[in-house]
Amino acid sequence: MTPRFKWAWRRAVRKGESLRSRARRSSRGVRPENIVWIFGTGRSGSTWLGSMMGGLEGCAMWNEPLVGNLFGNFHYFRVGGRKSGGQYILGEPYKETWLGPMRDLVLGGAAARCPEVIGGGYLIIKEPNGSIGSPLLMEALPESRMIFLIRDPRDVVASSMDARSEGSWLSERRETQRRTSKADRTPNVYVRMRANSYVQQIEKTGQAYRAHGGHKVMVRYEDLRADTLETMKRIYSALGMSVEEAELARSVEKNSWENIPEDKKGEGKKRRKAKPGGWREDLTPKQVEIVEDITAPLLNEFYPHTATTRGAL
Amino acid sequence: MPPAGEETGGMRPENLVWVFGTARTGSSWLSAIMGEIGGYSRWHEPLVGHLFGNLYYERAGHRSEDEHFILGARYREIWLGTVRRFVLDSATARFPEVAAKDGRYLIIKEPQGSMGAPLLMEALPESRMILLVRDPRDVVASNLDAHKKGTWTADLMRKGGKEKPPSLAESRPDAFVKGQARRYVRDVGNAKKAYEGHRGHKVLLRYEDLRADTLETMKRIYSALEMPVEEAELARSVEKNSWEKIPVEQKGDGKFHRKAKPGGWREDLTPEQAEIVEGVAGSLLRELYPVRSNA
Repeated sequence: MTPRFKWAWRRAVRKGESLRSRARRSSRGVRPENIVWIFGTGRSGSTWLGSMMGGLEGCAMWNEPLVGNLFGNFHYFRVGGRKSGGQYILGEPYKETWLGPMRDLVLGGAAARCPEVIGGGYLIIKEPNGSIGSPLLMEALPESRMIFLIRDPRDVVASSMDARSEGSWLSERRETQRRTSKADRTPNVYVRMRANSYVQQIEKTGQAYRAHGGHKVMVRYEDLRADTLETMKRIYSALGMSVEEAELARSVEKNSWENIPEDKKGEGKKRRKAKPGGWREDLTPKQVEIVEDITAPLLNEFYPHTATTRGAL
Repeated sequence: MPPAGEETGGMRPENLVWVFGTARTGSSWLSAIMGEIGGYSRWHEPLVGHLFGNLYYERAGHRSEDEHFILGARYREIWLGTVRRFVLDSATARFPEVAAKDGRYLIIKEPQGSMGAPLLMEALPESRMILLVRDPRDVVASNLDAHKKGTWTADLMRKGGKEKPPSLAESRPDAFVKGQARRYVRDVGNAKKAYEGHRGHKVLLRYEDLRADTLETMKRIYSALEMPVEEAELARSVEKNSWEKIPVEQKGDGKFHRKAKPGGWREDLTPEQAEIVEGVAGSLLRELYPVRSNA
């Protein structure tokens, strides 16, 4: 086979693949435009937001599939210089070839798990811990809607520290691994690690958000806490999704902090504090410094009016 | 799962030949011999096994029973179908010359994706499989050499635009040895699991046998996998890719082609390091090399 013929063949194969993929996606299952992704980072209120949206009539929530983590962690952090090569499975020259199966993995998985939204209704995919792969997912599913949920990194780190401390809601998993948490053993090391992962996840979410040509909205956790109903209305408006205000208000009320039983919230619980700025009570001055140093560009960008412990960053 | 070849209009899964094991077992050599024979092409480390295996077995192993998890047990058939498409579509796009004709084969050299071998072989049960193993002490010794300062791995990283960070191979060699032994157990353990579960054509191959009598061992591979090959052409490829044909300046310590000497670990590892490997990988060592002595 001559090189010229080989390339012509490859082009034809790729084109054929694209066409067949398009046919496949139009013929079955969950509509990609009815998918709403929630990206950002863990401990930023995504469960709360996802519950309010997924609890509405005709909607469902897919809770942390980790599909973004599957592709993003590998593609961005494990393969180094191979990305531009032709051998690597997610190589840039063959992007069209693998974006199709990636798309099918999400749509097929969604249809199997949430058949109630096939043909209509919205599927909220809560995927904060898969945010690292958000640029790839939004490229594979450009019709989907996207929420960029962000929270002050100091509160995120404080909440993560609590979740991983001895006896907390995440300690069960750690017990099966038979080791104590880094948050307990070397708290400052954990703080540094979590601040770094915050930067990675928020930067990738920002990259996906900027590139996404479809419906999208950026939401600060602090705004959602300050006026939940108004912020929710803004989200639905920005995403071009219709919602009955009375139903939305009921969902907001049902999922409010005040409606969580007292014994299900507090330190060591999944629902801990819901208090913007609570990091002042939770982190040591040294830990605050670590977080602020690592996340400085993001704090400046998303929280420009928030004072830091060392004044302007 | 869809019938072979139908879903892509291209690559037939039975024409894929996977080479699993772990890095530094001679998989580049083996796949070069096979890939240069007429009718055969070589796919060099797609890492698709690592992509799926790493999340499934390591990072999210605790979530396998969670129905929300994208690779959850309840929806296994669905995502294995996607894994299959991933491989076949990608192979078709990259190797149209194999997809276009019957009787052509694609050798997929995937030692570093061996962690995901059980998933890949389950998704592509018609495929052929080579389990390539090597004495873990020689594998670890080879890696220890490769990760020292100024070796071929540093050159490779530099080509990718990065400087190689300081390695444990220099600062804490015993810890490095332990880590590599664990990696061997993970990779070869999962590749062996895939091998045992695979019902299609397969062959278990020791690097040491390939070194001792390359041509005869290669003939055994083609016979076991029921793949056609002309003996004269095979002999030419074996000769062309032999250790003796590699220029002297391209082999030796710190080079990609280092030693090719079974049992060379006795010169490379300290007695303590050999014991570390035997402690971690002892079970596989005894199973794969029952007549060999330990340190």
